[in-house]
Amino acid sequence: MAVFKPHFPFLNDIKNKGLMPAVLYKINESVERLTAGLDIEDIRSVLRGDPPPRPNPRVKPHADGFWFHMRPTYYHNLTAGLYPSFRLGWLSTYFFAFETITGLILMLFYTPSPLVAYENMLNLLGNVPFGRLMRDLHKLGAEVMVWVVFLHMIRTFITGNYKKPRQFTWFTGVVLLLVTLILSFSGYLLPWDQLSLWAVTIGASMAEAIQPQAVGDIANLLLRGGPQFNEWGLLRWYLGHVLLLPLVGFIFLGVHYYKVVIHGHSLPPESEPVGEDTAKRVPTDQRTYFMPDVLTRELFYVSVTTFLLVASTVFWYHAPLEPHAEYLITPLHTTAPWYFLWLQGMLKVGDKFLWGVILPGAIFNGLMILPYLEVGPSRRYGDRRVGLTVGALVLIVLAILSYMGTPHYAVSSSPDQEVVAELLPQTEPGPLRTANWAELTPGTYTAAEWESAPTETLKKLLHTYEEEMVRAADNPTCRAAGNCLVDGEGLMIVEDWQEGLKKITFRVTWGEAPEDFCLPGAQNEFCQTAYFHRDSNYGQGE
Amino acid sequence: MAAEASAGAKAPAVPPMTRREFLYYIWAASMALLMAETGGATLWFAYPRFKAGTFGGIFELDIGEVPAPDSDPQPYDAGRFWLVNLGDQNAGDERLQQYVSGEPYANQPKGVKALYKICVHLGCIYKWVPTNDRFECPCHGSKYLPTGVRIGGPARRNLDVFVIEAVDVNGNVITRTEATLNGMEGTAIDITGAAKLRINTGRRISGAPNSVPGVK
Repeated sequence: MAVFKPHFPFLNDIKNKGLMPAVLYKINESVERLTAGLDIEDIRSVLRGDPPPRPNPRVKPHADGFWFHMRPTYYHNLTAGLYPSFRLGWLSTYFFAFETITGLILMLFYTPSPLVAYENMLNLLGNVPFGRLMRDLHKLGAEVMVWVVFLHMIRTFITGNYKKPRQFTWFTGVVLLLVTLILSFSGYLLPWDQLSLWAVTIGASMAEAIQPQAVGDIANLLLRGGPQFNEWGLLRWYLGHVLLLPLVGFIFLGVHYYKVVIHGHSLPPESEPVGEDTAKRVPTDQRTYFMPDVLTRELFYVSVTTFLLVASTVFWYHAPLEPHAEYLITPLHTTAPWYFLWLQGMLKVGDKFLWGVILPGAIFNGLMILPYLEVGPSRRYGDRRVGLTVGALVLIVLAILSYMGTPHYAVSSSPDQEVVAELLPQTEPGPLRTANWAELTPGTYTAAEWESAPTETLKKLLHTYEEEMVRAADNPTCRAAGNCLVDGEGLMIVEDWQEGLKKITFRVTWGEAPEDFCLPGAQNEFCQTAYFHRDSNYGQGE
Repeated sequence: MAAEASAGAKAPAVPPMTRREFLYYIWAASMALLMAETGGATLWFAYPRFKAGTFGGIFELDIGEVPAPDSDPQPYDAGRFWLVNLGDQNAGDERLQQYVSGEPYANQPKGVKALYKICVHLGCIYKWVPTNDRFECPCHGSKYLPTGVRIGGPARRNLDVFVIEAVDVNGNVITRTEATLNGMEGTAIDITGAAKLRINTGRRISGAPNSVPGVK
């Protein structure tokens, strides 16, 4: 008896069938194994658009394969198209994966330390091939993901899908919304720029507002890693951003989607009897099979999305990068990210514990338990006039609060500073820093005489300057505050400071202006200076 | 016996708790306790280790460096405070009557204060706006007078102050910032006769609660 007996059935096949047929058979068999049930002829039949043969081999991957077993074998014809879901849930999942992948790539070039984090950003922008593209994609993807998740929730509300039996699906969806928002927000701290530091300072201070004070203090210290943000705080937010929150999101995504499949894709409200849920009883003549129709639609959807994301980042979208974090200066016009502007608006209204902790907490808790409170049986639009109206009102209030979160509401500084902030904003590059460096001819220019400036760039800047001066001289805000710029004059002084470096001073005066320029403590004068280098590239090449 | 039998016949029979079931509950409760302890220990572990007030220490200023009464506040970045010298103009600021009312605000004391640079609302750095003659916070728009009194915005107390000691040429402490209003607001100190000021950034006195609707 041989101890080792070689066993190669493939060789026998070649002997019996000939080489080519045996190889083709082997390839076919391998394809069938990889797809968990579809051989080459089945795939070609799918691609040709043949009606499925009986028995339908296209359901086999759903039974045997890992990836397809998570997806339903077929959809109801009424849910296979764009309406009613707009595929926003699928898109949210896609963005979760998209952010994970771009995030992992960015992690290769990032160290969570205040000493080098900002430098890492500059490295990504100027040195790493496709570094800026990856950063822009990651940031844009995060912003779009917030929109997509939000719209997904709005859509679910409008079509009444949170109702029985899908209450818990909605609950996990609200958790995923929170995870998305916090993930997006926690990414803010990582570049260690001014935007990071102050956005997260405010976030942690809101935790500090929790009462009783001892709890607030502990929450604040746990979030900041010390009495003020430091390297430990950055490390905490970094780990939360790349590990803890994605993990929570991943778990809840699993639960959420399991519930979606268990309950089936809900039909449009008008197409099933009131109070009944027929999503799981799909008549055989109403079925759209996942393979190939839904699968190809989904792939098409994310292909177009990816294309739009890449095209946007190539042509116009760039992730902002503010100056390096500075503990002693909070920039004028600091704002929360747009999806938290409503919160910033609320915080301007009153007490931070009420408006910053209790109300936001009540909003999200209310959202979570909404399906257990609102138990009306009908999902039809006509039967839910009150609910839909309340939903619309909430959106309007959110929009108003978001407006109140912008710098236009309650934080406007004095008119002289606002004028200069238009030209030299503290939270973005702004008109001066993105102007053509070569056309900033040294000299002293008056805003009112913008037309006589030597270059187009200067004319444009001075024109903006003059418009702002005129506005600062008389507008409702300054009239109310009694600080309008009377007899104002705007000067712009450009000096050659060093080789390739210019010093630009904006000097706004009013009333009796001092003789000397820009001395400390001078009355009726506001000066701001900026240094602008030939190669500084604030506009990121645009 | 008969009553028990008939009751047992009517209600669905729920068997009494066995020793095994009871021990499972005890076990589950102990597991829950262990999880709670682990959670608490995790928070304790994650609690940052630091020394309070490490940025600060004591700052000494010659009396010549103190701004003149009612002049613009002077920033001291290393100590994170604004030094203000409150004279007649600040003490009698009409905005105190306009936007803030009540006994404590009727007459603000004159003298020197060291205002902690951080807005007591949500921790941003407020700044001095000379045109409006007040401090303004760029984040949510809290407004404060040079005295540290809040006159508007969402903050709900006056600015915090650091304790200042006025020291004469012999090194004796003449006067120091005291907590007034039941320990909730630091006084301004009279610096007459002082040669030096010692600002202790390790000792901070919270501003008094102040939530009247104020200026926009």
